[in-house]
Amino acid sequence: MLDRIIKDYNDAVFETDKDAAFEVVNNALANGLTAEDVVFKVVIPAVEEMMSDITRDPDANLAQHFMTAQIAAEVTEKMLLKFAHPPEIIGRVVIGTAAGDLHSLGKRIVMGCLKALMVEVLDLGVNVPAEKFVAEALNYGADVIAISAMMVHTATGENGARKVRALLKEQGLEDKIKIVVGGAPYRFDNELYKTVGADGWAADGIAAGKMIVDLIRAGKAS
Amino acid sequence: MDAPSVSLVRLSVQTPSGDQVFQVPLGTSVRDALDLTELRVRAACGGSGGCGACGVTLVGGAVSPPTTAEYMKLLAVERQQGARLACQMRLQGDAVVRIDDPAPPSQWRSIPPEELIAAPGALPELAQHVYGVAVDLGTTHIRLALWNRKTGQRIATRRGPNPQGTFGADVLNRLSAAHGNPARADELAKLARTAIVQAVRDILKRDVGEVTPMLKEIGEVIVVGNTAMLALLSGRGGDTLLNPDHWAGRIDCQPADRAAFQAQWFMPHAAIHLVDAVAGFIGSDLLADLVATRLTEGAAGALLLDVGTNTEIALWDGTRLHVTAVPGGPAFEGVGLRNGMAAETGAIHRVCRTPCGAFHPASADISFETVAGAPARGFCGSGLVDAVAVLLATGQIKPSGRFAVSPGPDGFLLDSANPRTALFSQDIDTFQRAKAATAAAMAALLQRAGMGWSDIQRLCVCGAFGHRLDIANAQAIGLLPPLDPARIELFADASLAGAEIGLLLPAGAAVFAALGERVAAINLSQVSDYDDRYIDHLRLRPIDINKRA
Repeated sequence: MLDRIIKDYNDAVFETDKDAAFEVVNNALANGLTAEDVVFKVVIPAVEEMMSDITRDPDANLAQHFMTAQIAAEVTEKMLLKFAHPPEIIGRVVIGTAAGDLHSLGKRIVMGCLKALMVEVLDLGVNVPAEKFVAEALNYGADVIAISAMMVHTATGENGARKVRALLKEQGLEDKIKIVVGGAPYRFDNELYKTVGADGWAADGIAAGKMIVDLIRAGKAS
Repeated sequence: MDAPSVSLVRLSVQTPSGDQVFQVPLGTSVRDALDLTELRVRAACGGSGGCGACGVTLVGGAVSPPTTAEYMKLLAVERQQGARLACQMRLQGDAVVRIDDPAPPSQWRSIPPEELIAAPGALPELAQHVYGVAVDLGTTHIRLALWNRKTGQRIATRRGPNPQGTFGADVLNRLSAAHGNPARADELAKLARTAIVQAVRDILKRDVGEVTPMLKEIGEVIVVGNTAMLALLSGRGGDTLLNPDHWAGRIDCQPADRAAFQAQWFMPHAAIHLVDAVAGFIGSDLLADLVATRLTEGAAGALLLDVGTNTEIALWDGTRLHVTAVPGGPAFEGVGLRNGMAAETGAIHRVCRTPCGAFHPASADISFETVAGAPARGFCGSGLVDAVAVLLATGQIKPSGRFAVSPGPDGFLLDSANPRTALFSQDIDTFQRAKAATAAAMAALLQRAGMGWSDIQRLCVCGAFGHRLDIANAQAIGLLPPLDPARIELFADASLAGAEIGLLLPAGAAVFAALGERVAAINLSQVSDYDDRYIDHLRLRPIDINKRA
């Protein structure tokens, strides 16, 4: 039965059909699968498969990234409410767009994937000052600050990732909190993330989910 | 509200650089027909037959007999050899003409008359400098019209590309280019200013017959446009625009040095009005649309959509105008697609499942039509809407936006013999994101006004699609709500018409200011569930108008 559910769910995600995905999940619950099973045996493998698929599939497009990440996030959120015990959380992330940047959709995909991967995310919104990134990260106990910037001037500007790095350094937090960045300018220049003082970057929202999880795990292992 | 159907005839043109064929409305003069294309005849008067510059040779076909003007301008021996004036000769059927010496290539074309909106009004009390220019400064295109304000007569129109496009297709790239780089900002301003005056000169040269003296007779120029374009034109406000803290407020885009502006345009007597934008990303082009469509003069529940690279939306609730803007991307203007183009000669502007009209049969179940019936050179916005809707209906594209069968590196070809008819996965993606942004923004405005989709009594669609949008197809893929089509009106050049109306009023600028007073601007990046709506609208399916907006 599980194989059938996994296949139907993956088909629904591939077709970006949210209603169909929920139908599969609800049927699975009705047939005795637990919410934990749905998340760990169906949703998370689907997200991981999606990550490898999307990088291999030349026809996959951004609209499909958005829709699949949204399905994963919504299903996970619904399932978490039904968990018998609070799930084991991998880590915590605060996310927002750089000061001066109003493009919220990139971080949207990242948040969807992180939630589905059992990472807790606090959304700081758009146009977030560097001071707020650091203060909220401290408050929230975040392992990672994720900064999205879709324009060259917000990616490379003095008030974006560079300033967050300077503040972490100033406050002696560099061992505790990592910085990751994403957005179009980093795709055009794959070394740009280092220039602005980030610890990691990813080419798209779904790849970012995996990169952040790896970074958190590496940080906890060290 | 489709454009009235007219019978089309074939105009074949032989030139030194090759032959071309155009589909032309019956009764059009050869000059008027070619003024809409890149192949224009020479001209130095308004088509009265007065200058004699537009000489062509009639090779054969059904045309009107020579006029008095032609008897005066052409020698008998020339007439016997087929010499005619293109402005006098009207097509009464298919015809073939030869042009030995066409006008030099130009970016500027006349706007097709069926796209223009009547702008009633005149200023008979004007004593001098009676001419005026209305300009719609778009991100992708510039449209303008020259008027005699005293008599209320439109002399001619032009449409051409905004040359700033080389600095980026969207407004943010151009603002970024100008940011902190005064020389570059200057260059961008100069590009737009030069383009505008070149278009005016093109009109004066071809439709009036004298240029410099006429520039001195221009008494007013009204420019409407999106905020970024106005800022880049005036060289002011661009840096402010890049900072979202200033997004909701008015941005001063008035030129610092008006005299320099007048001097650069050789228009010493022109009052140059850049109509103030509403807010950061809501331009005065939207105000001009509202003037042209008289949206606020009707009942509540009137929604206006100005589709373009930066799509602007207004909702009239009877007392206030809720307005917003979304960076939908240039897909609707035919830019940013592998085979995208403006709605010019050769653009695929209509795609259907069954053969319809004078069409190129493509495959058994899909046919398409191009502008002027020329060989297909790419897709314009309306052609893309149709193509997506038709391929969705045939199952060749799925609601997710994927092709059912991967089209491979050559793309999905409507006509297997013509690579310019190919659609690619990327194109569908670009299109999906533009339509989702548009639909989600409409939904956000409706919610803000406490309305639902079915409360829309009137939906005015202005901007890039012009008259060509197929409403049923736009509804099938979720770009427009599935309302009774009688409530939906298409306008081709509403922003320009609004600027023209302003030009013909004694205190035109006041009209725009009064509308501006009623506006409540909404910044979608601060609407918490906008992103969710956007993602919900990415799928290719009709909008559910019974669901909350």
